[in-house]
Amino acid sequence: MKTQTLAAAEWVYAGLWGVLVRWFRVPQEPPTLAVRPGETVDSFRPAEGYLRYLKFWFWLVLLIVDIGLTTAWIAIFIVNPVVGAALSPIALFIIIAPDIIAYIAIHLRYDTTWYVMTDRSLRIRRGIISIHEVTITFENVQNVMLRRGPLQRYYGIADLIVQTAGGGGAGPHGEGGGGHLGVIEGIANADALRDRILARLRDSKSAGLGDEAHPVPSHPPQHAMQLTPDHVATLRQILGGLRRLNGERGHY
Amino acid sequence: MTNPEYESCRPPFDAASIERPDPALLTYYIIASAMTLVAFPIVIIPNLFRYYTLKYKFDDKGVSMSWGIVFHRQTYLTYRRIQDIHVTRNLLHRWLGLAAVAVQTASGSATAEMTIEGIRNPEALRDFLYAKMRGARPENETDAPQTSQSDSEHAASSSTDEVLTLLREIRDEISQLRTIGEKPQ
Repeated sequence: MKTQTLAAAEWVYAGLWGVLVRWFRVPQEPPTLAVRPGETVDSFRPAEGYLRYLKFWFWLVLLIVDIGLTTAWIAIFIVNPVVGAALSPIALFIIIAPDIIAYIAIHLRYDTTWYVMTDRSLRIRRGIISIHEVTITFENVQNVMLRRGPLQRYYGIADLIVQTAGGGGAGPHGEGGGGHLGVIEGIANADALRDRILARLRDSKSAGLGDEAHPVPSHPPQHAMQLTPDHVATLRQILGGLRRLNGERGHY
Repeated sequence: MTNPEYESCRPPFDAASIERPDPALLTYYIIASAMTLVAFPIVIIPNLFRYYTLKYKFDDKGVSMSWGIVFHRQTYLTYRRIQDIHVTRNLLHRWLGLAAVAVQTASGSATAEMTIEGIRNPEALRDFLYAKMRGARPENETDAPQTSQSDSEHAASSSTDEVLTLLREIRDEISQLRTIGEKPQ
């Protein structure tokens, strides 16, 4: 029975996805990022724990809201049974419908969130009705923030926030930084990912503000002195002179 | 709803050829304004002005965007100064095959410095901008082939090796010279 319900739920969910893809043009494939040959592309979604984390909040809010609504309904029923009975279909609808929608929305949110990481850049896709994609190159990253609350710790996840330069007010999702940021929510390997991005930042020689490419010598001591055959010839002459001198002094 | 045939016969993306937004943007503006219901006559006017005066110019260093007659706006930004690219597609955008490609530089404004609207094939535009922004390619990459650089590096290192050997020999000779010089005393 339980598996049948689950199968039915999955079938409905797959059907919903079909509608979203066909009629609402929600992209089914993960986002891509152009890479050069030899570079790696890592495409991943939030960890399983993130789904459970979202569901925890769902059940918590559901409990509070539904207890409140049910109490209000019962109160009306006690005060005026006729009105209470007349309101029952509406009350049931208000109590149940948002829960179902929210539950599906959580799953959709989870399934439509994608992170793509290459050696050079990061792309984040998020959203169902309005799909938002951010592309940031690590060269432009100013700082990396890790955010992990107690509940997130319990579920083994964390949020990684990558910020680029530039200020401003709230971003498209209410964060600061004027949208100059990429939020990688609910990932299990946040620490490893942060270290990877930070390692990339340390290697970077620029401030990430659109500096032009300077011909920075990669091996300063070797490249600073351009040796020509003349140098070598002069050194040979010195050596030859020394040898002769040694030879002469050796005769004494 | 998707039309794979259309996707496949699309001409290759050429940013320099983009000067005007796609007519689909007008449809988008009209529908988006119509959704405000009562405010439609007020909302549509600036949108129409914007659509009919909107001009793009992609050159090899940057992109400029201008619109408006009475209240004229013009923005120019260089590709290298792009900090991040945001592509937003709402339902209407997706149905019309459009997107809002917001390009941000490091200035302090809260909104994107430039929002490129009404481009068919917004993904290609985004990839084009991405390829031009900093960090998308190795920094020391030039048009010259990579091998010539490594060749010259190799030549330089071999000549330094030779110099090093010579210097060592000179050092040895000098130390020998000193010991000889010290011997008689």
